[in-house]
Amino acid sequence: MLMRSARLIVAMTVAALLCTPAFGQNNRGKNDMPSTADLPDHQESARQHQGASSDLEAPPLPEGMTLDEVLNHAASEPPAGFPDPVADDELFGFVLFDQFEYRITDDDASDHLGWEADIWFGGDINKFWWKTEGEAIFEGSDEGESENDFLYSRLFSPFWSVQTGVQYANEWTPNDYEDRWSYVLALQGMAPYQFELDGSLYLSEDGDLTAAIEGEYDLRITQRLLLQPRAALGFAAQDVSERNLGSGMTNADLDLRLRYEIRRKFAPYLGIRYQFLVGETEDIARAAREKTEQWLLLMGLRFAF
Amino acid sequence: MADKQRFVGSTRVTRRKFLVTTGSSALASYLLLNRPAWASDANLARAGNFGELDATAAEGIDLYLENQDLLVAGNVGRAIAINGSIPGPVIRMTEGRDALIRVHNRLPEDTSIHWHGILLPFDMDGVPGISFAGIPAGETFTYRFPVRQNGTYWYHSHSGFQEQRGHYGQLIIEPAETDPVDYDVEHTVVLSDWTFEDPHGVFRNLKTVEGYYNFQRPTLANIDDQMQATGMTLAEVINKRLSWQGMRMDPTDIADVTGATYTFLMNGKAADENPVFLAEPGQKVRLRIVNASAQTFYDVRIPGLPITVVQADGQDIKPVETDEFRIAVAETYDVVVTLPDDQAYTLFAEAMDRSGYARGTLASRGGMSASVPELRRRPMLTMADMGMMMSGDMKDMKDMKDMEGMKDGGQDGMEMPMARHSESGLPTENLVDRVKHGPSGHGPASITMAQSAYRRLDYSGAGLGDDGWRVLSYSQLRALARPPLRRPPTREFYLHLTGNMHRFIWGFDGKKWSESDMIRFQYGERLRINMINDTMMSHPIHLHGMWMDLYAGGDLDTNPRKHTVNVQPAELLTVDITADAPGQWAFHCHLLYHMEAGMFRTVAVVRSLEGGPLNADA
Repeated sequence: MLMRSARLIVAMTVAALLCTPAFGQNNRGKNDMPSTADLPDHQESARQHQGASSDLEAPPLPEGMTLDEVLNHAASEPPAGFPDPVADDELFGFVLFDQFEYRITDDDASDHLGWEADIWFGGDINKFWWKTEGEAIFEGSDEGESENDFLYSRLFSPFWSVQTGVQYANEWTPNDYEDRWSYVLALQGMAPYQFELDGSLYLSEDGDLTAAIEGEYDLRITQRLLLQPRAALGFAAQDVSERNLGSGMTNADLDLRLRYEIRRKFAPYLGIRYQFLVGETEDIARAAREKTEQWLLLMGLRFAF
Repeated sequence: MADKQRFVGSTRVTRRKFLVTTGSSALASYLLLNRPAWASDANLARAGNFGELDATAAEGIDLYLENQDLLVAGNVGRAIAINGSIPGPVIRMTEGRDALIRVHNRLPEDTSIHWHGILLPFDMDGVPGISFAGIPAGETFTYRFPVRQNGTYWYHSHSGFQEQRGHYGQLIIEPAETDPVDYDVEHTVVLSDWTFEDPHGVFRNLKTVEGYYNFQRPTLANIDDQMQATGMTLAEVINKRLSWQGMRMDPTDIADVTGATYTFLMNGKAADENPVFLAEPGQKVRLRIVNASAQTFYDVRIPGLPITVVQADGQDIKPVETDEFRIAVAETYDVVVTLPDDQAYTLFAEAMDRSGYARGTLASRGGMSASVPELRRRPMLTMADMGMMMSGDMKDMKDMKDMEGMKDGGQDGMEMPMARHSESGLPTENLVDRVKHGPSGHGPASITMAQSAYRRLDYSGAGLGDDGWRVLSYSQLRALARPPLRRPPTREFYLHLTGNMHRFIWGFDGKKWSESDMIRFQYGERLRINMINDTMMSHPIHLHGMWMDLYAGGDLDTNPRKHTVNVQPAELLTVDITADAPGQWAFHCHLLYHMEAGMFRTVAVVRSLEGGPLNADA
């Protein structure tokens, strides 16, 4: 089982990398006009250069330097002790709590606190990425669960990053604590029509392969009022009895949040969530006389710093 | 010259009086700097109290750079003041003399002054990391160079984001011979943008949240507005919006930093502070206009008065009468207007994205004002900004045919560029109008929307030209006299202006400065750079130390010299350069946050192009 899943992961990794162009930019129309790709850039042009006459009078020279000395200086790398003229490789860190909300159920199920956040640090292309999401119950018993993906993220096309790393997932009740490590391969970016997508494959330490896909879209009503539909779908490649998962699609969360951006990085919101189990997973839950669907009212704050 | 009047701040000075007072104004400015510590906000110096200094006077001048609380637009801002003000003092020079400027750095950080558009030895150019190491905190650096040109220029910091905090001023060089411009009075007009935010915080916002400062996006609420403004039906508007969304682009992405954080300044004063420019009725008024903004393009007009443009980037041009012009960041224009009567006229400088404006008043007396025009509707990008051909555009169709003909065997002057190394050099007129975009090949740092790049010399810019009045375009710029060193170039290369607007990554050919080699010019050569803007924003590209001769549709005699050329979306823009300044120089987009993001190159003017590339980031 483990071997089979490992092979699948490798195959999917390769496939994800190979299909890079599919996530790239719109293909150009086929036209036989001369293409900029055939025109020389500065290095090509320099290589072909035949030399030029330099019959200039009185070039501007620093005091005390000859033309030869200046030309030697010009052909040298910057002296030690010179700063960079621009700090274009600066690293930034960013924390975005996309969801930080109180979830109120419509029945006797427990209300709880839920969160989903992206925390990253890095440059334009390479980043360290920590995705965290989970929920915790405070009234009554102390229960909760969280999933934390620690990823290396690389922007490989203008809109898409490939991410890989590990996930640490845990669940706790007053009497129990369970956790699980998984290998993660993710693809995150913006699809045409400006849908934000985040798809992840998880291969757990027990050899179970699961997947999660999240998509969201910001519909601007005014410059500061936004309606955000969001869907999160779960899949499993096999039955995972200890997690009550059946193979196939397992569950879905469908959310709708209406937020008001008081500032770009500070937006309270109201929303609703309909979450339900699907397929064999739903059957498993039903057999155990557990709930298979739930409506939730969401009240929260989207914030960043 | 002696009978001409000049105005500094709001004080009228004659040439003679100016020469007498110059020495003491340095002292006065200095005293202004050292206000007693107990001075309350009410006593704070206002931005816009700049004086005037003569840097080619024998004793030279002193500039004191200091962090200072100043009243900017009525609020207290932490500015970098030069001799106590933003903008800094107007620096005067006289062509043919030597400039001598002592810069005293009283900031707690390194600083620098770059003399924008000035031809000088490379070590006087003021770019830390290229010309010199910078001016450390507490130290004095002495700039000394011969002044070999005349016209209106400016100066500014080339260190970090200091320019955003007010570190700039105007530089005026009197011609050694008769000035061809006929005027009675002259005024300095320094346009800029100011934020009370920390500029590094602005940069971080741009890097981490797309469209952080854009509050003019398409929304459900403004569909109706778009229908009314464009005459499109609901279905057409939705269709158009979906097509932009399909491309993952925002047609309202006109400016990265907007009036949401900016206060737009004219001579350091906000619009409601109304700087007044005085003249007598009937006088010819020369306005020396510099755009010292970090990010803001301005559309300038004086409702009711025609404007005659007489200089561009400090270079005399054949006078062009117009009603409005767009001034890109770092450009300068000198214009002459005649005040017809004793009415007031508004000098209106509207931000390109219509998120605000700077404004002043031209009048015969202080305290006067005229009505201020309403901001126009913000422009939106169009398919033309992606190099897409409009149906029925016969000119484009003709270009297409020309290009086809070129492919089928070629005509004179139209053969493939690679084969063009003849003794006589490259063609200088009727240059290729359009090139097809090949596969981008510029990686994740470049979102290439343009399908082709084409000449846009007649295009004044997004949001201009539909108001029923004249608007200046580059195709109208013609040098007044043939500049020296003009000859056909013998070499050319293509340079792509690239960016990922989604991630705020900017560069050339998909690379940032730190990832790139130096661009090498051979000393003495005549060189052509064909710039292709792959992005959907305009970029004012500035070359230090040497002129760029802009191909404006004219010929060798008349194409204007520029230090900064604005390259519009999908534009193919050509400049010719005489590599007459040995040393290393900066070449960059003059939008401060694009430059700092890496849209920057080191240019090395070297003896020979043999040997390998030179790493810029050693």
